[in-house]
Amino acid sequence: MTTNKIEIKDLTVNYIENKRSFNALHDVSFGVGKGEFVSVIGASGCGKSTLLSVLEGLYAPAGGTVQIDGKELHGTGKERGVVFQHYSLFPWMTTKKNIEFGIKQTRHDIKRTERSRIADEYLTKVGLSEFGGKYPSQLSGGMQQRAAIARALAMDTEILLMDEPFSAIDAKNRVILQELLLKLWEGDGTTERKTVVFVTHDIDEAILLSDRIVVLTAHPGTVNEILNVPFERPRSRADLVKTEEYGKFRNKLLSLLYNDIAERIGGDEVVL
Amino acid sequence: MTLKKRYLRIAHILFIILLLIQLLPAQSTKATHTSSLVTFAIGFEALVLVGSALIKKEESLALLVDIAGFVYILLAAWSLATAKYNYLNDLLFPAPGKVIHQFVIDRDKITENIKSSLITIVKGFVFAVAAAVPLGLIIGWNARTGNAATYITKFFSSIPPIVYIPYGIALLPTFKSVSVFVIFLATFWPVFAGTMSGVLGVDKKIIDSAKVLNVSKPEMLFKVILPASLQQIFLGCNQGLSVSFILLTSAEMINAKDGMGYYVKYYSDFGDYTRTITGLLVIGFVVIGVTFLFNKLQNYLLRWKR
Repeated sequence: MTTNKIEIKDLTVNYIENKRSFNALHDVSFGVGKGEFVSVIGASGCGKSTLLSVLEGLYAPAGGTVQIDGKELHGTGKERGVVFQHYSLFPWMTTKKNIEFGIKQTRHDIKRTERSRIADEYLTKVGLSEFGGKYPSQLSGGMQQRAAIARALAMDTEILLMDEPFSAIDAKNRVILQELLLKLWEGDGTTERKTVVFVTHDIDEAILLSDRIVVLTAHPGTVNEILNVPFERPRSRADLVKTEEYGKFRNKLLSLLYNDIAERIGGDEVVL
Repeated sequence: MTLKKRYLRIAHILFIILLLIQLLPAQSTKATHTSSLVTFAIGFEALVLVGSALIKKEESLALLVDIAGFVYILLAAWSLATAKYNYLNDLLFPAPGKVIHQFVIDRDKITENIKSSLITIVKGFVFAVAAAVPLGLIIGWNARTGNAATYITKFFSSIPPIVYIPYGIALLPTFKSVSVFVIFLATFWPVFAGTMSGVLGVDKKIIDSAKVLNVSKPEMLFKVILPASLQQIFLGCNQGLSVSFILLTSAEMINAKDGMGYYVKYYSDFGDYTRTITGLLVIGFVVIGVTFLFNKLQNYLLRWKR
């Protein structure tokens, strides 16, 4: 039997649009081990975000199962924390209140003063210690996502689901946030790593962060390939991009993605 | 800002012109109470000067002195047309000093009437908001009832609340309770409709964010949906408030024993047009004051918006 934290089996999702049903995901199966960081990557429209909304519990699949710790998933759950691309934070709460509100949802036993202390701690970790009293509208997009990550981590859920959290951020801040997430997730070895499912269309982001990468093919979304990322942790982007293997691995991933697109538009296979 | 920009404005010249006009001999046969007008103008100018010294933003300062300028022009034209040259019928058109004088004499009576009107408004308004917001949240949040209720609300809010007055009089024991009842109806429907349209229009992403946090049902309604719909709720409240003032003053003119509408109606029945005009102006100030405070509250509660 499997010891995976998350087990996805034969997952099929149908969307109904204009009275026509179409197949968004078809027979998707893979597992995510405890403490593992798995990225789901694919061209837009491949159903990767749909997959995540099933894991979040916001969308019910047409077929197949998702199990967490061996129990079938039904709806949202307190063991899962989520970071969306947009609007993870409530605009009417200050940054700190947002984090405290999150903590309150998953950690009932924690008192108000302790909540405030934890919120401050995580604000400091993401570099927002001076912005706790600000509203999300007063922060840049990058700062809002920092706060959303701080909330997700402060909630201390076993699983983190992240749906393209950095794709709306400018290139420079995206790099900074990737490094920040990497550092916070890898930790200093004293704490257990969280199980993460991370959806992205950014190849470099996926390689930098993940233990494994699930490549999806579109129409309908199916698993094309699952790759182990062969780089030691702790990682840093600067060291990683220097190595020859990085370039090779990146090209392999690229060809997997582009061949899929080339097939769909009827072009030749891309040779890289 | 230079001293010149701050203190040398046309408004202050208009102030001096207004005072000079008061030196002209009065031609009106009635009492003109010029000294009341002069005292008022000096007091007002003093406030404007204090304001000019304190205000930091240039646009706000310009707004203040421009408003002051309009007030001086109005008072100057008014006193010329009445007290000084008596162009207008001095029974129907009292001199400005007379109105100010009347306000000072009647101030206790006026305060009483304002209080009575405001208590009625606040009662009806607060009851209506307290009932409409939770109901709107619950009914709007339930997708099925939400859509049906929108149509029902459209029907009921299309009935002008003033036509409830005769029925209210038959239904309720006192005229005060009728006024509260009508203000309640006038506020309830727009606030209820505003709340529901707010709930139905909440961004799905915000609701998803709350769902994945596993918030409880009361938290979903009052900590997520309520603040997310607040702007629409305030739209309804503002509509309710302005209709309430129209209704209340109309109702007070029908049958009341106190209130601002009563004050105006009572004295105009006696041909006391000084008091009638005093009453009109006071109502204007009260409505502006209440609206101003309500806007302050709204801006405070929506301070998180950009």
